[in-house]
Amino acid sequence: MFGAMDLLRSRLNRLTTDDNRFYGRSPGWSATDGSPRTNFYDNGNQLELKAEVPGMSKEDLTIQIQGNYLEVSGTRKSDAPEGYKVHRTERETASFTRSFTLPSEVNVDKIDASLQNGILSLTLPKAEAAKPKQVSIA
Amino acid sequence: MSETTNITTKEKTVPERSREIPVIAPVVDIFENDDEMLLYADMPGVAKEDITVNIDNGELLISGVRRLPPSGTATREEFGDVEYRRIFSVHQTIDVEKVNAELKDGVLTLHLPKSEASKPRQIEIH
Repeated sequence: MFGAMDLLRSRLNRLTTDDNRFYGRSPGWSATDGSPRTNFYDNGNQLELKAEVPGMSKEDLTIQIQGNYLEVSGTRKSDAPEGYKVHRTERETASFTRSFTLPSEVNVDKIDASLQNGILSLTLPKAEAAKPKQVSIA
Repeated sequence: MSETTNITTKEKTVPERSREIPVIAPVVDIFENDDEMLLYADMPGVAKEDITVNIDNGELLISGVRRLPPSGTATREEFGDVEYRRIFSVHQTIDVEKVNAELKDGVLTLHLPKSEASKPRQIEIH
C-alpha cells in the first residue's frame, strides 16, 4: 500500500543533493547522540558487534568486558590542519563510552576485535553453557 | 464502502523489486588555504573500490556504497547498507588534473589543489 510513497520518497532523496536534515544519519535509524552506531548479531555460537568508528585507530579505542557487561569507549582526535581557513565542520571529535549487557555469557579469552575501514568488529564466542544444543528424544 | 485505487500500476510478471539501499549525505569537514581546498568525508565501512569521486562542470560528486557482510540474526541494528552521496559546487580555480583522494579508517580525504593562476601573488611595486 505504501509502495507509491516509498517510491516518491526515494526519488526525492536522490534529487535533494545537499539535504540539510539527513547529514550522516538516515531517518528510521535510531539516533545515538554522538555515540557510534552499533549493531549486534547472534550467530548461535557467538555474538558479534559492529560499530561505526570512522577516523579512529586502535589506540583511540578501549574495549572492556566483565562478565556479560561490555563497555566500548574511545576518543576521536581532530584532524583539522594548521593554517587552513575553516569552511565547514560537521564531523564530531568527541569522546564516547557505550555499554551493553550481553544476552549471554561469553568466553572472555576468545574475544576477537578488529578494526577495518572505520568499522570496529568484535566476535564474542558464547560460553559453553550458553551455546545452542540439540536435545534428542529418547 | 471502501475503494482501493492503484496509484502505481504494476505488471504481474515483474518480480518484487529488492529494497534499494538508502542514500544519505556523509558528514564533511571543508578547509581551505592558499594552495588547496581540503575535504574530509566520513564513510565508515566503505571499501576503496566502492568509492566514486567525480568532478564535472564545476560539480564535485562523492559517492561510496557500503554493503555489510551477512552476519547472523541482528538483535540490534543501528546502521546498515547505505550509499553515502553528496554533491558540492567547486570553484573554477580548482585544478581538476591534480585532485587526489585517499581513504583511511573510513574517512575519505580529498585534496583539491588550486590552479597556479588563481593562487594569490604579491605584486611588487618598483
